[in-house]
Amino acid sequence: MATLFKFFASLRLTVVLLAFSMVLVFFGTLDQVQYGIWHTQKLYFESFLVVWSYPEQAPFYDKLFWFHLPMPGGYLLGGLLLINLLAAHLTRFTLSIKKSGIFLIHFGLILLLVSELLTDLVSQESQMPVDEGGRANYSQAFRENELVFIDRSHPEHDTVHSIPVSLLEPGKRIDVPDTPLSIRTVRFFPNSNVGRAQAPVADNLADSGAAVQMNVVATPAEVTYAENEINTATAYVEVTGPEGVIGTWLVSNVIDERFPPQIVSLDEQSWEIALRFTRFYYPFEMELIDFKHDKYPGTEIPFNFSSEVMVHHQDESKDQKALIYMNHPLRYEGLTFYQASFANQDTTSIFQVVRNPGWILPYVSVLLMGLGMCVQFGMHFIKFLGKRKTP
Amino acid sequence: MIRPLTAALATLLLLAACDKPEPVTYTIPKEERNVAEAVQAPQPSAPAADGNKMQVLPGMQEAAQAAPELAYEVPEGWEEFPPQSVRKANFRVSDENGSAELAVTVFPGDVGGTLANINRWRGQIGLDPIDAEGMPPITRPFTISDHGGIIVDLQGPEQSILGGILSFHGSTWFFKMQGATGTIAGQAEAMEAFLSSVRIEDEHH
Repeated sequence: MATLFKFFASLRLTVVLLAFSMVLVFFGTLDQVQYGIWHTQKLYFESFLVVWSYPEQAPFYDKLFWFHLPMPGGYLLGGLLLINLLAAHLTRFTLSIKKSGIFLIHFGLILLLVSELLTDLVSQESQMPVDEGGRANYSQAFRENELVFIDRSHPEHDTVHSIPVSLLEPGKRIDVPDTPLSIRTVRFFPNSNVGRAQAPVADNLADSGAAVQMNVVATPAEVTYAENEINTATAYVEVTGPEGVIGTWLVSNVIDERFPPQIVSLDEQSWEIALRFTRFYYPFEMELIDFKHDKYPGTEIPFNFSSEVMVHHQDESKDQKALIYMNHPLRYEGLTFYQASFANQDTTSIFQVVRNPGWILPYVSVLLMGLGMCVQFGMHFIKFLGKRKTP
Repeated sequence: MIRPLTAALATLLLLAACDKPEPVTYTIPKEERNVAEAVQAPQPSAPAADGNKMQVLPGMQEAAQAAPELAYEVPEGWEEFPPQSVRKANFRVSDENGSAELAVTVFPGDVGGTLANINRWRGQIGLDPIDAEGMPPITRPFTISDHGGIIVDLQGPEQSILGGILSFHGSTWFFKMQGATGTIAGQAEAMEAFLSSVRIEDEHH
């Protein structure tokens, strides 16, 4: 047990782990070209093990296609570094005034590693487009989709029953929560080409809804990781009630609010069925009063994007007016709204909405590390000054 | 000392596993659906041949009245009618080929987008819908009220539509002339003159 402890506290382990970190960052950067930032983050940094394979586009692929390099992932390296630092402190380091600076620096570093893990586990990013003069009370995930059944029968509110698309495995049956319905996924395409056929299609997997009324057909396509491309997630879903199958619908995130709703009916009840980017609803409405896209006079070069917004909360005492512009987000109700993008000839502003409860931790840890360095180097400096005075 | 450490680390790793997504139910404030009420029976996109009958949904009339003021020059030979319901301006012109009617309407948002609106107009005169690639041959950019709009030129078997679509600060303006193909062809120049003369009250610049 003592040797194990000694191993975890050793400086040699630190060096090995840091070397592996450099290797991880190098290969992660290479793979980001084909996988895009979101996927690379998941593959390389939010994992314990990752295997790098020789990319198709690189030269000599026909000779080197077999080359696969496994390496420890971000969670494993970060976790071991954390254990290593903590173990070193518990065994080798003794707290003294002389080493107080180093302790502060290391504590800041520990806080940074922990905050990174917390951010991975807990934070959530989404986007919220708002039209000038319009309001939005929800934001949408960038890549995740959900299958929803919406009950609009109640006069005061709508009820959304949502199933994350990651649960849709072909053949698997899932109960739709709080409804008498259950679904079975016939097909699921993470990306697809969706179009309208000229005439009804033979062997149509769907027998209800837009697939039948508008001859909509979907064929699977390769998932794209490019930042500005959307994966058209599509599914053929068979819906069953207590007395048997009701029908099979084609749902897709391209069949959105411009189209008539697809309705599942069971006796007196009906639900709108749809597949869409996962929505996060909020107890407030973000109203965009004005979006400004300022350019340097006489040129097309932008120097400012800003959105004047008014947040209308259900609890009116929390209403707030704000100006959101680059490097000046709105922090409101545990969320941060950044000016991310715009559309429709400067009449729509798109915000990035981030929920990260640990957002302040990196600031605190960097502050601690800076303070620790000042203390440590300050002590050395004062000692040096003292030495100079004596001949 | 090492045991509480490993316990803490194990809990942290377990938290990572707790990320599993689950089906959920939640309530939201009532949402409006832009498209007409739930369609259960099969209902293909082309509505009745008389494209001038439009279902005026609640809120449309108020939205039209709240829209900015419109100024224009009426071309020769066009009969002007008073604005009504969701129409901000209303004209009729007749010649030996038949007659045509021009209606100017405005709606908040993009009403489904340019392609959807072109296909709606196509359906009204008995033409099949097109996809995005079919747009360039029948549309061209045109400046309306100092903003970038487009002119859409659709020729059907009996009727044609010559129209302008303008995206204007969060609303969309439609200038739709629909009528006998011959009449529309004869009024093409007058239509361009009319569109050039349009001035929408602009508080944004």
